[in-house]
Amino acid sequence: MTASTDLRRTALYDEHVRLGARMVPFAGFSMPVQYTGVLREHDAVRHRAGLFDLSHMAQFVLEGPNVAEWAETLTINAVASMKPMQARYNIFCNPQGGAHDDTIFYRLENRWLLVVNGANAEKMWEHINANRAENVHLTNLHGRSALIAIQGPKSVEILQPHTNVDLANVKYYFCAEGTVYGHPAVIARTGYTGEDGFELFVDGAHASEIWNALLRDHEGDGLEACGLGSRDVLRLEAGMPLYGHELTEEITPVQAGLQWALKTAKPEFIGRNALIEQMERDEYPRIVGLVMEGRVPAREGYKVFLGDREVGEVRSGSMAPSVGGKNIATALVAKEAATVGTVLAVEIRGTKHEATVVQQPFYKRAK
Amino acid sequence: MAQPEGLLYSKEHEWVKIEGDTALVGITDYAQNSLGDIVYVELPRVGKAISQFGNVGVVESVKAVSDLFTPIGGEVLEINDTLENDPAAVNRDPYGAGWLFKVKLADANEKNNLLSAADYEKIATE
Repeated sequence: MTASTDLRRTALYDEHVRLGARMVPFAGFSMPVQYTGVLREHDAVRHRAGLFDLSHMAQFVLEGPNVAEWAETLTINAVASMKPMQARYNIFCNPQGGAHDDTIFYRLENRWLLVVNGANAEKMWEHINANRAENVHLTNLHGRSALIAIQGPKSVEILQPHTNVDLANVKYYFCAEGTVYGHPAVIARTGYTGEDGFELFVDGAHASEIWNALLRDHEGDGLEACGLGSRDVLRLEAGMPLYGHELTEEITPVQAGLQWALKTAKPEFIGRNALIEQMERDEYPRIVGLVMEGRVPAREGYKVFLGDREVGEVRSGSMAPSVGGKNIATALVAKEAATVGTVLAVEIRGTKHEATVVQQPFYKRAK
Repeated sequence: MAQPEGLLYSKEHEWVKIEGDTALVGITDYAQNSLGDIVYVELPRVGKAISQFGNVGVVESVKAVSDLFTPIGGEVLEINDTLENDPAAVNRDPYGAGWLFKVKLADANEKNNLLSAADYEKIATE
């Protein structure tokens, strides 16, 4: 057990405490799991807007003429084809094809930002340094730079008055460099909730001012501080993988259903051969979406059955307000149990509960 | 927050209201607040014999599964089946509409193992 004194604090720690957040250890930081309640915060993001502190995620700055060429060899998705100010989801794999981390690359004018999961920050910093190439300069901003996300249908309306960037010109998975409340920021139209929204990369020294100003100026719009609890429900509903659950050193992007991000045409990258072989043999256990019958939530680690045969286990599960309040889950199951429409059973405290395989995402916002 | 008087409490954050030879059981305001939004409650079945401080079910919030212990032993007489469709009643009204189950007492002396409102409050505010 980690003593709370050993935990790191983000630049927004004092604001979380002042707002009465319940703080929990997460990725080595003391982070807010909720302020008022997971369901209320979930509702704010789906219908109004929510503000998240994601400063526990690590930001690495990549500079030099060879960044794209170098990053291609470490990742499964294309990097060199990214346009300036474009963002792209990408995964670093191990030689067996398992996921080292899932990340987002942001191509700025003269540098790149790589955002990795907080829990993988040290591992990823070691990994990219161990594989560093000529003319690639790496800087670790973890703990110095802050990341604030505003997510929800009112995000544009709320953020626009406080930035010099015309947000209408920032398309989904693109970004811009400008200011927010007068402070330099990279403003990216990315997120992890299934709603429209932005992620703001700002200096830690300005994070509190921006955070407090947004909450103060937009309380009337229903903007609320939201914690990691609601974020997890939002991402699960939106069909987005969470490292450690749907992706691990053992669970590959192919198994997680992320073939769209796998560019096999790239001649060489770590994990390429293993992933291609796995995809071609097509015998692997895979991640599926489940909708449960009844009110008992499925949780990580519960066993999944097809008839009497155990075929896998639950990887994430939650009650899902945006899926009619039903319990949803992801599970890693054998191929023969993975077809949409298949009725499976999840064993919960000795009793089997029916669950049907569905197409993900569970929730898609109206355009 | 002040605990209601006239109830007895367990260290595991359950309350019990003893009326003659029966008792009503629930979880405290502190417990519901710590758990967060409650989405499922699994209660012992009616007729079951339960012993004091035994594990008799679970309370699940969005984020976590927590064991439910009974502060008092006996036979389960009734369960609050409105919680099946409205588990959030435990959050809204933990000492009222969010009660969990009713027990026919096995041993009236068991109440001596429980805490007063004042003593429980010390635990809940530690």
